[in-house]
Amino acid sequence: MNFLAPLFLFGALAVALPVFFHLIRRTAREKLPFSSLMFLMPTPPRVTKRSRLENLFLLLLRCLVLCLLALGFARPYLQKPVSARLEPGRQIKRIILVDTSASMRRDQLWPEARAKAEEFLRKSSPADSVALLAFDRQVRPLVSFDQWSSLAENERVPLALQRLAEITPGWASTHLGNALTRAAEMLEDNKSDAQSQQVLRQIVLITDLQDGSRLEGLQGYEWPRGLELIIEPLKAKRPTNAGLQLVTEREDWDQAADAPLPRLRVSNSADSKREQFQIGWVRPGDKGFSGAPVAVYVPPGQSRIVPAPKPPPDLPAEQLALTGDDHDFDNTVHVVPPKAEVIQVLYLGADSEKDAAQPLYYLKRAFQQTRRQNVQILSPSASTPPGQTNGPEARLMIVTDALPEDRLKEVQQGLAGGKTVFFALKDLPVAQTLSRLIGTNNLPVEEAAIANYSMLGEIDFQHPLFAPFADPRFSDFTKIHFWKHRRLDVDGIPGARVLARFDNRDAALVHIPAGKGAVLVLTSGWHPADSQLALSSKFVPLLYSILEQSGAIKTQLAQYNVGDAVTFHTESPGPARPLIIRKPDGSQVQPTPPDRFSETDLPGIYSVTSAPAPFRLAVNLAPEESKTTPLTLEELERLGLPLKHAAAAKPQLSEKRRQHLLAAELENQQKLWRWLMVAAALLLLLETVLAGWLSRRQPAPTLSL
Amino acid sequence: MEVDLTQTIPTPSAGQVSRPNTAQSGHLIDPQALMAIKNLEMRAKVVVEGFWNGLHRSPYHGFSVEFSEYRQYVPGDDPRYLDWRLYARSDRYYIKKFEDETNLRCHLLVDNSRSMGYGSLPYTKAHYANTLAATFAYFLYLQGDAVGLLTFDEQIREYLPARHRTGHLRHLMLALEKPAGGGATDLAAPLKRIVEMVNKRGLMLLISDLLAPLETLEKNLLSLTASGHEVLLFHLLDPAELNFRFDKAVLFHDLESDRDLYIDPAAARKEYLKKLTAHNARAQFTCQKLGIGYHRLATDRPLELALFDFLRERSKRGRKIR
Repeated sequence: MNFLAPLFLFGALAVALPVFFHLIRRTAREKLPFSSLMFLMPTPPRVTKRSRLENLFLLLLRCLVLCLLALGFARPYLQKPVSARLEPGRQIKRIILVDTSASMRRDQLWPEARAKAEEFLRKSSPADSVALLAFDRQVRPLVSFDQWSSLAENERVPLALQRLAEITPGWASTHLGNALTRAAEMLEDNKSDAQSQQVLRQIVLITDLQDGSRLEGLQGYEWPRGLELIIEPLKAKRPTNAGLQLVTEREDWDQAADAPLPRLRVSNSADSKREQFQIGWVRPGDKGFSGAPVAVYVPPGQSRIVPAPKPPPDLPAEQLALTGDDHDFDNTVHVVPPKAEVIQVLYLGADSEKDAAQPLYYLKRAFQQTRRQNVQILSPSASTPPGQTNGPEARLMIVTDALPEDRLKEVQQGLAGGKTVFFALKDLPVAQTLSRLIGTNNLPVEEAAIANYSMLGEIDFQHPLFAPFADPRFSDFTKIHFWKHRRLDVDGIPGARVLARFDNRDAALVHIPAGKGAVLVLTSGWHPADSQLALSSKFVPLLYSILEQSGAIKTQLAQYNVGDAVTFHTESPGPARPLIIRKPDGSQVQPTPPDRFSETDLPGIYSVTSAPAPFRLAVNLAPEESKTTPLTLEELERLGLPLKHAAAAKPQLSEKRRQHLLAAELENQQKLWRWLMVAAALLLLLETVLAGWLSRRQPAPTLSL
Repeated sequence: MEVDLTQTIPTPSAGQVSRPNTAQSGHLIDPQALMAIKNLEMRAKVVVEGFWNGLHRSPYHGFSVEFSEYRQYVPGDDPRYLDWRLYARSDRYYIKKFEDETNLRCHLLVDNSRSMGYGSLPYTKAHYANTLAATFAYFLYLQGDAVGLLTFDEQIREYLPARHRTGHLRHLMLALEKPAGGGATDLAAPLKRIVEMVNKRGLMLLISDLLAPLETLEKNLLSLTASGHEVLLFHLLDPAELNFRFDKAVLFHDLESDRDLYIDPAAARKEYLKKLTAHNARAQFTCQKLGIGYHRLATDRPLELALFDFLRERSKRGRKIR
């Protein structure tokens, strides 16, 4: 048995005290009556030849307690003839996770990471199994366990080093939680029951441990037993880092078309040493600002939102930069001004847009132009031939009057092509058109008899059309009065689904599938003669909901983060002309599938040139990557990570110190001192009980007179 | 240094009382056996008769062997007391005047303090003192002397004036048999009070352990002797008090002050004996200085020897023993 603090063993010498006290013990209760003490003086207790030990068992207990206490404080442990490598035959299964996120571009972090990875690779024994993974937003295996095992011993490390040399830090953000859980699952997957007790499973994490690392998935994660996580943190020598981000277009897309220049967020990391920075427009490829920069003051750990300066007139307003910090990987923002999307809606009705008593008047005013959308109501006149105004962009057709045959065919073709018809049944003659559209004959429609007005009583908020109104704040439609409506027998219409009913149970809004498209029938009109719908606050959002359901709204975002997938709403011209995306480095990519592009691995401007309407995208660094202040190990421990400090990773430790650390770890595992303390406590309890019993057992003294 | 408290007895001469002949009387009564007699008067009788047997004298002979003086015969005197030898010499009739016609008043002053309640033997010093006092009382009563009793601790507890009447001895025995009050030892107040109470000169037999400061002893005894009393002091001590042969370190409990002291006898004995010897020596010196007879007794000493000491002391002072 060895001891971590052997000096405490000297405390065992204290057993001499109870021995001494037992020798000089006065039996305080034993009294001897005597006539007079006038000739006597009190004498101190002393140990003489006649002194003898009393209550030997009690003395033994007390001595034992002292010995156990001294032993416990000396922190004993049983030396096992093993090292960190454990018994011969027990192998290590190790995953080396190397951070390749954008923040690793700072200083010499990447070379340090490679060096540490190489160190762990080289110290693996032939029996060990190693996998090398790189991670940022995703996890990429560089060398798998199978590949490692399949290679000869002398080929493993060179292969891993080669794979490591082929990669460099990218521009993606850090999803640390995902990487760790993935690595843990890989170790669990490779575990076999027979060998689990003999294999030490390790994850070696080489990262800058930045504060912006995403840690989702780690909270409450149940780590496999016996798994160790060794963290090799990398620290930049220069801590000052400020990041530049564009305040996203989603946050200001309600602004009017002539809104001022974009706003920028400047964030300063908590461990920065500087607070003054400059931002300005730059010409791509140039160093230095074009035009006058703007000074920004941001204290460490805080952020500020500032408007971008006005770009020089001859400069395309595409790139903003920040100067004044130590690392420039997050100092550039690419900007693509949003373009208003043109949405066409075909209105087929005989009314004039200037007539306030007719539906078109209100329809025109419901759709206002914004920075994001420009809804155009196409209202062909009777003389306009069909098809001339019915472009492929008009996904929604609104019918409020009976249609002539040619217009009817146009609408039917549209339905067959998957378009949507919003049919306002504002009078009975229109019902014939409806019957023709949905393919039924003599659709039973009659004017409903209403006493004063009717209201919308039942609404299917589960349908996507009314889903935006599901919130209790917006779900009250009872304030909209309908003076007139038509009673439509829905039961005879195959596939019809009533989305809303009046309070007399008559159908108010019915969805009828027709071909690839659909017909939305409103059994009333929204103009003042029929209802207050056009005048209510729900009219515009209802129209936009119908527009969205018809697929007419295809907002194409212009700002993305590195690694985000881009969904294209632009239709490919055809198989012969697929969409081609030009990346910032000049390479061209054809997305597969055609409407989804995920190779946004570089920050910059991406151009989609082959679309009918070419457009551009801006891809920037994720804002979290600018949070470069290192996480503390305590924060990771709070997440329940099975951390282990790698003593072997510090070769500069002296052998003595290393042995002490190993001994401390061994003692910490065995915790023999706890058992000694428990034994001492139990013996103390026994001694107390016994001493009390003995003192009660002594006879009371009697005086003889 | 071991103190030998057994005093040497001088060779008997005329007028002196010889030590009881132990060889002829068998043995002295063992005090433990004597104390087994519950009745105090019986104990006193046993001692006195034992003492006389040793002296080959009948204790019931109430006539003086020697007379101190003559007086002329007057009609009416008992003709049995005519001295015929003197008539033969003088041709005149003379009556012998016996010692018993000399009115001796004796007061027994018995210490009844708490310290007297100590005893390492089966009986305490108080038992021994009471027995001793009863023995003296019985003896003196037989001699025709008037005997009184005064018991005290720090004050007088019991007082019987000196009488020689029928029943008085019984009262005296009863008073001696009463249990002690249990106060501290203080001779000053009782002795002062005795001087005030007893006017006529007589004999004062003081029986005490003297376990009290002796600073005022001389003054108090002086007041007695100055009043004309003859004082004999019997200093009683238990053998354990004399030898202090205890083997165990324990808490010693003071009977008078109720104090407790942890004493290791082995360590304390030497000093104790030194102080005790000095105390006893001082008491003896004080008595000698005042002409008071001083006798130190251990309670394991046969009471006959105390009686002998008493008689010898008396004879030294010229008193005739009948």
